[in-house]
Amino acid sequence: MGKHERDPADRLADHAAIDALANELIPALIAKLGASGLGEIEVREGDWKVRLRRPADGVAPAGGRRTGRPAASPAPVRPSLTPVGPGRGGGEEAEARIPGVGADIDGVGPAEPGGRGRDPFRAMATSPAVGFFQPRSGIVPGSRVRSGDPIGSIDVLGVPTEVVAAADGIVGASLVETGEAVEYGQELVWIELLSAPSGGPDALAALDPSAAGELVARSELGTGDPAPGEP
Amino acid sequence: MFQKILIANRGEIAVRILRACRTLGVEAAVVYSEADRDSLAVRLADEAICIGPADAKRSYLSASAVISAAVVTGCDAVHPGYGFLSEDETFAEVVGAHGLTFIGPPPDVLDRFASKEATRRLLGGYGLPTIPGSDGMLRDDAHSLEEADRIGYPVLIKPSAGGGGKGMRMVRSARELEQAIKVCRSEAKAAFGDDSLYLEKWLEDTRHVEVQVAVDRFGNGVHLGERDCSVQRRHQKILEEAPTPALSPAVRVELAERAIRAVVAAGYENVGTLEFLVDGNGDYYFIEINCRIQVEHPVTEMLTGIDLVATQIRIAAGEPLGFSQADVDLRGHAIELRINAEDVDHDFRPSAGVVERYLAPGGPGVRMDSHMYAGYEVPPYYDSLLGKLIVWGRDRGAAIDRARAALDELIVDGLVTNVPIHRAILRNEVFLDGRMTTNLLDRVGSAAFVAAAERR
Repeated sequence: MGKHERDPADRLADHAAIDALANELIPALIAKLGASGLGEIEVREGDWKVRLRRPADGVAPAGGRRTGRPAASPAPVRPSLTPVGPGRGGGEEAEARIPGVGADIDGVGPAEPGGRGRDPFRAMATSPAVGFFQPRSGIVPGSRVRSGDPIGSIDVLGVPTEVVAAADGIVGASLVETGEAVEYGQELVWIELLSAPSGGPDALAALDPSAAGELVARSELGTGDPAPGEP
Repeated sequence: MFQKILIANRGEIAVRILRACRTLGVEAAVVYSEADRDSLAVRLADEAICIGPADAKRSYLSASAVISAAVVTGCDAVHPGYGFLSEDETFAEVVGAHGLTFIGPPPDVLDRFASKEATRRLLGGYGLPTIPGSDGMLRDDAHSLEEADRIGYPVLIKPSAGGGGKGMRMVRSARELEQAIKVCRSEAKAAFGDDSLYLEKWLEDTRHVEVQVAVDRFGNGVHLGERDCSVQRRHQKILEEAPTPALSPAVRVELAERAIRAVVAAGYENVGTLEFLVDGNGDYYFIEINCRIQVEHPVTEMLTGIDLVATQIRIAAGEPLGFSQADVDLRGHAIELRINAEDVDHDFRPSAGVVERYLAPGGPGVRMDSHMYAGYEVPPYYDSLLGKLIVWGRDRGAAIDRARAALDELIVDGLVTNVPIHRAILRNEVFLDGRMTTNLLDRVGSAAFVAAAERR
């Protein structure tokens, strides 16, 4: 595996472009995608193309035999940055992920409950009790909520216990159906954040210029090798 | 029979109940707290449901969480195991109110036996000897002093609710009484939410002997012999055996027969245990009834071959007992060693950590009931019981030999266990002579006890 050096000026320009995309464009797109119900959004800007894709398995299967295992979460919205145009990886669409973004952080895939809370672009509302889930009327994917707002309830022996939004954002995919039995701590509803939390270590790691440099280097190799986080 | 049982407990008893369910061909779902996500019961169960955080008050002790779990998993019965909600008659009632069956005595029976003091009077009325004690609950200081004088010092202050030594004090003179009652009240209030206390005559050098009974809803009752639980440390049982070496065969039969007659007459239902204190003269006094399956139930299972948990479930389902006293054959001798995550060298301080290696002993007459597995992380939030090593032999000597051999075979690496105290007990002359009393370990001191055994 050989590496060939690129012009430092080009690299700096890439870093700047990636920073700008990651800081401004991607959070806005995530919010839009979360609210829209669309499967994919793609934006081209200069030499770069940003594509956000929501995986098809948006809703987890309801209630397995093993109630105790949190149902598989849908894959989070995945931004992918692709350099476009000549001179950038030979024009190949080497779709590379930014290391550290979304659930690809540890390369463990999206279904790990342990990954919850590490996603810088969305938060999970979990069940505060064992019972039956009821979404709050008027709360649908796309609804804007503030941290602490009730977004639904768990019926515990006829007594409702509130489910609240964990952050300001936009209600995204629901992992459970209305009236579905849920256990304590079960993942219920995604809240797509309007902006990445400031100072969030994972968010910043994702935007680390050196990481971006690695991304560029990979795409430049033109091998089409997936990034480490690729399942 | 039930369709599906919710196992509302953790640790080894959750595994034990799961096994009984499978034997009976009944489906089961096990509850767990966030701290028990990787427990053996969760791993073995077909279905498991998280009911709350590690804090037992919000999980295993939360009646609404447990009952809601039963509802959402489609269970028609709840097995409470021991501890937690097992003797909470309000819980049993609420379980019933949601159309579910509480596996244990029905709520009205639990209610009748809820107060220890009332139970002593009730069963005393049906012929069981009881320890001289206060006339009802203690009202105020004047009443307490008067009652203590009448009974004669030393006296034991006891809480009406709960067990495990909380809210209990022995008092030798009137001078100490007032202060001790104050302490006991606050302990009992904190532990059981009930600060009612009563007094009992303190019997020196007693043995703890309990009779296992099973009564169906049609009034068919049998006793399954007794167990001796005299090896205790600070009121916590460490080793149990059957039959008791404290009583002659004739007295043992008499005790068990009186016990079963009294509980059947008093309308008890399901499996239960009547606890007695036996003094140096061989006189026995009824002290309380436990309306649940007990930690030490395998001792009786080894002697009788009867599955007590399955029996408990069948009785709760309304089935007749299916066997009579004549069918109960008490064979040989059984001993149970409670294996706890406790550091004998440091005042039995609980230890937590990862079980790095675990090997259960085997061979004829050896049984290990445990929720351990290699890699299991013992959570620090609950009791320290890691498992129970139970052995059976044709007689007491053979059982002791097997216990020693099995203990040598047991491997638990990664955390400190109380195995050294068991080695010491199994080599102690007083124990070998069958003369252990409930206060012996505390009087001698566990450290001295272990040291003495090492010198032998």
